[in-house]
Amino acid sequence: MSAVKENYLQGRVAVVTGGCGGIGTAICQRFANEGAIVYAADLRSNDETKENIYFQQHDVTSEQSAKDLFARIENEQGKLDILVNAAAIEIEYTIENTSLEDWNRIFAINVTGTFLTSKHALPLLRKSGAASIINFGSYDGYIADPQLAAYCATKGAVHALTKAMACDYGPENIRVNAICPGYVDTPMLQSFFGSSGDIESLQKAVRDVHPLRTYGQPDDIANLVNWLAGDEARYASGQLWIIDGGLSAQVQQMRL
Amino acid sequence: MRLAGKTALVTGGRQGIGRAIVDAFVAEGARVITCGRGQRDDDLPDTIGWQTADVSSNTDIELLKQTVIDQFDRLDILVNNAGVQIEKTVINTTDEDWDTLMGVNAKGVFLSCRTFIPLMSSGASIINIGSISGKVADHGMAIYNASKAFVHGLTRSIAVDHGPAVRCNAICPGWIMTDMADAAFELATDPDQAKSDALARHAAGRFGEPQDIANLAIWLASDDSAFATGQCYTIDGGLTAASPLNPGLF
Repeated sequence: MSAVKENYLQGRVAVVTGGCGGIGTAICQRFANEGAIVYAADLRSNDETKENIYFQQHDVTSEQSAKDLFARIENEQGKLDILVNAAAIEIEYTIENTSLEDWNRIFAINVTGTFLTSKHALPLLRKSGAASIINFGSYDGYIADPQLAAYCATKGAVHALTKAMACDYGPENIRVNAICPGYVDTPMLQSFFGSSGDIESLQKAVRDVHPLRTYGQPDDIANLVNWLAGDEARYASGQLWIIDGGLSAQVQQMRL
Repeated sequence: MRLAGKTALVTGGRQGIGRAIVDAFVAEGARVITCGRGQRDDDLPDTIGWQTADVSSNTDIELLKQTVIDQFDRLDILVNNAGVQIEKTVINTTDEDWDTLMGVNAKGVFLSCRTFIPLMSSGASIINIGSISGKVADHGMAIYNASKAFVHGLTRSIAVDHGPAVRCNAICPGWIMTDMADAAFELATDPDQAKSDALARHAAGRFGEPQDIANLAIWLASDDSAFATGQCYTIDGGLTAASPLNPGLF
């Protein structure tokens, strides 16, 4: 049973970057189910046609792309209520093995992408009266996983940016929060598993280290994004919302 | 009806945040029992169960347990909300203050969890009311701050020890407009100025309402939060996202 009222986001206009990715797809679907008009902004469409979900080709590292995206939304909707900055990549190296090119690329997508998209969304978000920006941090912005140095650093940057934006735009009725997922069953996680030999035993090991004995599904994350997007969360701003099945509540090492 | 068919126990449901949670749970279809140290409030609807109980007392917790067993066949939601506040620094805090405050805020949450976890259904949710004061110190509220840090620590332990059957999270409210917050402002030399200064430090431009907390409690009580456990979620209108050193307010 849903934790929010029916048609929780009726009449709201939402943009989800990375909207065709693992978690982004679940968020778009949940928003549409709650009555929102949704723009899935991503490099590539996942070619699924769904009611009230519109695809926009979007490169989060390009300022022109951000301008084009919000020009379309201004033209078609005249306002924006919800921005979800979910586009992100992961690279799996220590810093020694991270090239400057890779470092710059992951910061361009995970951090600069959040900055650029948010910056150009603000004029339309001001017209909402009850706007909500939801950034994607990670529990990796608090504690590190091995061999994910640049990724951890980008998520720490997103956390700090989230608080800064919340301070600056709260007085204009724009709330800003970050979701910090733990292990969620997405192509990104499967790629992480894929780098190891025995995927099945690795998956079991990962499940067993969680107090809830499972890793998350994209819908688990979409449930929290949905709550933060709407008016029930009207007093929530500037926070980093870890949702990780209890993983980071404990002192424990992943034996991978 | 987002909590239809669920059973809930909310401690300290007579006023403030606790009462908002009780009313919100009932509105969403849950059956609710609440308790408090005083007598049942006349305006508490008949459908809500009441037990006079001090959560710091083993005897009273046993009475509360019997009430829950008599009225429910299982417990789905436990909200440990009962709390007291004493506005003193460490050196001014008496042994009696310690026993009163730690009795309710710390021992009460412990006793409640120890008593009710065995009655809880698989997939049940415990929601403890922590505080931003358990993460950052409010001036002159030493053992209150410390008691809330205890609640946060216990929240993580319960999540780790009793998952996956039971989820356990804490809500950390900021400044919520209750009698407890008014009492804190009265401590200031100039209460009105203290209030407007505090307001200016909230990105949301207002203090919280008990309903703001109840909204998060509904989410944590529902299956929408099935992957959330072991966390202490702050909801404070942006207060603790900003540094306490705020040059605009000098």
